[in-house]
Amino acid sequence: MTIFLSVCIPLLIAFELPVRATPNVRSVYDTIESLKDKEDATVLISFDYGPSSEPELQPMAIAILTHCFQRNIRVVGVTLLTEAVGLAQDAFETTAQEFGREYGRDYAFLGFKAGGAILVLNLGQDLHGTFPDDIRGNKTLEMPVTKKMGSLSDFDYVIDLTSGFPGIEEWIAYGQERYRFPLGGGCTAVMAPDFFPFLQSGQLNGLVSGLAGAAEYEVLVGKKGLAVSGMRPQSVAHLVIILFILIGNAVYLTQRRKGGA
Amino acid sequence: MSRDSLFLLGFVALFAVVNVALIGTGRLAADWAGFGTILAAGLTLALYSFLYRDNPLFKLAEHLYVGVVAAYELTQVWYQNILADVINPLFRGGDEGPRWVVLIPTALGLMLFTRLIHKGVWLSRLSFAFIVGLGAGLAIPRRISSFVLQQIEPSLRPLWTDSIGWGTLDTVVILVGVVSVLVYFSFSLEHTGAVGRVSTVGIWFLMVSFGASFGYTVMARLSLLIGRVTFLMEDWLTLNPPLF
Repeated sequence: MTIFLSVCIPLLIAFELPVRATPNVRSVYDTIESLKDKEDATVLISFDYGPSSEPELQPMAIAILTHCFQRNIRVVGVTLLTEAVGLAQDAFETTAQEFGREYGRDYAFLGFKAGGAILVLNLGQDLHGTFPDDIRGNKTLEMPVTKKMGSLSDFDYVIDLTSGFPGIEEWIAYGQERYRFPLGGGCTAVMAPDFFPFLQSGQLNGLVSGLAGAAEYEVLVGKKGLAVSGMRPQSVAHLVIILFILIGNAVYLTQRRKGGA
Repeated sequence: MSRDSLFLLGFVALFAVVNVALIGTGRLAADWAGFGTILAAGLTLALYSFLYRDNPLFKLAEHLYVGVVAAYELTQVWYQNILADVINPLFRGGDEGPRWVVLIPTALGLMLFTRLIHKGVWLSRLSFAFIVGLGAGLAIPRRISSFVLQQIEPSLRPLWTDSIGWGTLDTVVILVGVVSVLVYFSFSLEHTGAVGRVSTVGIWFLMVSFGASFGYTVMARLSLLIGRVTFLMEDWLTLNPPLF
């Protein structure tokens, strides 16, 4: 109940908390920022998450799409998971409408294909063969945003937003390692520690992790949304948990000193 | 009537009263969008009712979720895979004509269903053999390259560089961490003396790693709770919580 209240109350009371971008989040931001002057720069985003991780990853997707559309960067979306189709379409439509982007010219969503890792390999070999049509039935060989994108290597940046399998590991092993493109990641907080070794080895050039990472990206983009507002309850709940841990340990140590434990 | 039944009836009645009040005051629209919000709010609360104990409302929401996901996935696979990759290339090829090569993976896929027929079960083994062979052939070199060889290089960086700073400290921590954890997992060595002391350092590294993972897990679970509570407050109860 305490945790529930520590989430509810800060949602109803507005107060400002500082959100600073960490190097891993800034790296994703800087990579997209570096593409703003490049003609026909195109980013591929793989939406590999379902509704169960929507609160963490959807604000992240919207913040990254906002950044791309702010800088006139083209975006192509795919997904390795069936559950992500509706979420990805929603994220595209919301942000594209806000920035007046045109489907087929500025962005496209290719949809879902089964296969996971095999799909990543296929995309690296022949994108048009893997996705002859997008989710709306348009030919990928005819749409301006995809007609020059024959393979994963043709994209200026690839970002995988994942909540599990298939996800970043498949994109590294079957995509980035083989076709050599810059890869950034976005993941749920619970998965983030598993991906830190890939940052150190350079296989991932940046990582946006959890709601906190999404909030950092929103601040960098200059468009605060649900992630930044979620930092209030998140921070208060964390403080409450830390307080409970301290109280629990203090009680345990006191009892042990008295010989009770 | 048992205490649990009374609790559930009370919960359903309260939920109905709140929704009638929300629609009556015009805070929720009396259309399909409003009905969708009420349904989503009801299912969210029904799933959280498991915190009280396992109950019929939770079961209802759980089974509904399984059914909806199964149907949703089937439609997605039908339109984006079976229709687009099998039926259209075979029967709606246009000027190019049918792509007969599609029959090979289709046959391999259909052969998996022979698991349901006792006498024809051997056919499914051909498909499984293909899947296992292809999967192993693709996965082994890719995973060794990406997750072993590529990870060795940053673990073996020189300790001393031109400028000694945080980078050097990181490298030392990684070196000590990798060596001590490897020693801890060397169960063929008795963990006494020097080996015991090094493996104790390894345990400390593992504990810090588990702590970090647990911290991130708490953060992730809270984020999910925040997402649901925000939905209930903003979309259902229309309390319009301040964004910033």
